[in-house]
Amino acid sequence: MMLAVETPWAVELVGFGKSYRTGWIGSQMAAVRSLTLRLAPGQVLGLLGPNGSGKSTTLKALGGLLAPTRGHCLIFGHPAGSDEARALIGYLPELPHYPLHLSGREFLHYCGGLSSLAEETISERVSEVLTWSGLSAAAEQRLGTYSKGMLQRVGLAQAILHDPPLVLLDEPASGLDPSGRLALNRLIRDLAARGKTVVFSSHLLANTEQLCDRLAILGRGEILIEGTPAELLGTVRDEVPQPSRLEKLYLEKLAAHE
Amino acid sequence: MNNVATHGAIASFRRVRLIARHTLGEALHLRLTFLLGLLGAGLVLGAMGLREFNFGGAELKFIGDFGLGALGSFGMLLAALTTSQLFFSEIQGRAAYCVLTRPVRRWEYIWGKLAGVGALLALFVGALGSLIAVIIFWRGRQLGVTSVSLPVFFCACAVQWLKLTLVAAMTLLVCSYSGSAMFASCAGLILAGIAHLRPLVGEGSRLAWLRVWPNLALFDAEALLASTQLPTAFVLLAAVGYWAAYVVLFGMLASLVFNRREF
Repeated sequence: MMLAVETPWAVELVGFGKSYRTGWIGSQMAAVRSLTLRLAPGQVLGLLGPNGSGKSTTLKALGGLLAPTRGHCLIFGHPAGSDEARALIGYLPELPHYPLHLSGREFLHYCGGLSSLAEETISERVSEVLTWSGLSAAAEQRLGTYSKGMLQRVGLAQAILHDPPLVLLDEPASGLDPSGRLALNRLIRDLAARGKTVVFSSHLLANTEQLCDRLAILGRGEILIEGTPAELLGTVRDEVPQPSRLEKLYLEKLAAHE
Repeated sequence: MNNVATHGAIASFRRVRLIARHTLGEALHLRLTFLLGLLGAGLVLGAMGLREFNFGGAELKFIGDFGLGALGSFGMLLAALTTSQLFFSEIQGRAAYCVLTRPVRRWEYIWGKLAGVGALLALFVGALGSLIAVIIFWRGRQLGVTSVSLPVFFCACAVQWLKLTLVAAMTLLVCSYSGSAMFASCAGLILAGIAHLRPLVGEGSRLAWLRVWPNLALFDAEALLASTQLPTAFVLLAAVGYWAAYVVLFGMLASLVFNRREF
């Protein structure tokens, strides 16, 4: 008898909740209440929402940096944070402070070693990702001399260095100017074209609908709405050109939730 | 992707070594390291000014004691402050997220940090110790006396290193739980102070429970320097065993606590 083998979801969050203890007496604050979300391999998901809506907490849980208080988080069928799951992800934190005394190439070499890549593979992959991120010319410069846009690109490069099938990006456009954002958007689209699953969080609504296969708007630790851009934006009247339809939906959903 | 094995002792050792090397590189770029190294060297060189007193053969002993005192004091500050600064700069700057979301175990991160700080302390002790040794040798030739045996002096430096790495391990244990570098530095120095005062705690005292804490007075380099002969192999092995037991204990406790830490 043949057994059906199910392809696991790239990301599966079921009833995921995270609470933090806020003081000595043990009072709890819920950062994420109950979040259920499934993402197929190869899709790009944008997590939108205001500060404190639970975007970073969700990404950190997927990265294994914190444990769920309720529910579970799976990465390709493996519990988030397990060795197997961590081998399958690349993670870009929000505005990280990299070791500024290292050059871009040295930093990526260090990351490659931590991912247990073979020595000969590290050099090859570092050159590839430097070219991909447009940093080849600055590869020998110290990270201390990089602009914010270049630092974000080196962050993206370290996230995909070991060729993970899932890339998690926490506010990748944070602090970038429009041209830096444009370059970043192109890189994210390129990751999608290479078949990577990408989950990113953002405050910025412009261009997000062009980047994503799926969108989820979060508010106070809950999903307010989730679906493809076509599904979501089709539900909104498109009468006035300003603000954009996505911005309008975002504001409507947040206002309704208040 | 051509990966080497991510599991197993060799893979773990490789990652610990990488983190240690990275930590050492970062430590050598800290202004704090430079400042403490400079102050320590300044104090040791300042001891040369004392030759005006011309203590005779006892002068060499004085220079050795004075130098080891400077090495111990600044080394203690270096151990506590750099351990906490290196730990928190990565955590608060989120660069540690790039490490911990990779197949790196939390205990590998902790031991890598400790090994990196240990290497920094070895460089610090080696550099200042060599400087003091040069002064002792040079002044001894001028005075025509050899009241300080250089092998004994280097043995005393090695004992200082054991003591300083133990302070770094104590500080790392605090870091694994604490939320700020300032708290971890202060707590690390207080714990080191308690460990120095440990011999004062009597058996019948109400503070007798403090006797579980390591006794840093056992690593008294000045007492070692007073002797003209190297300690026996048994004494040295006992000291190294005592040091290793506490370093492993603190490292394991720090790993356990850090394993449960959330970001």
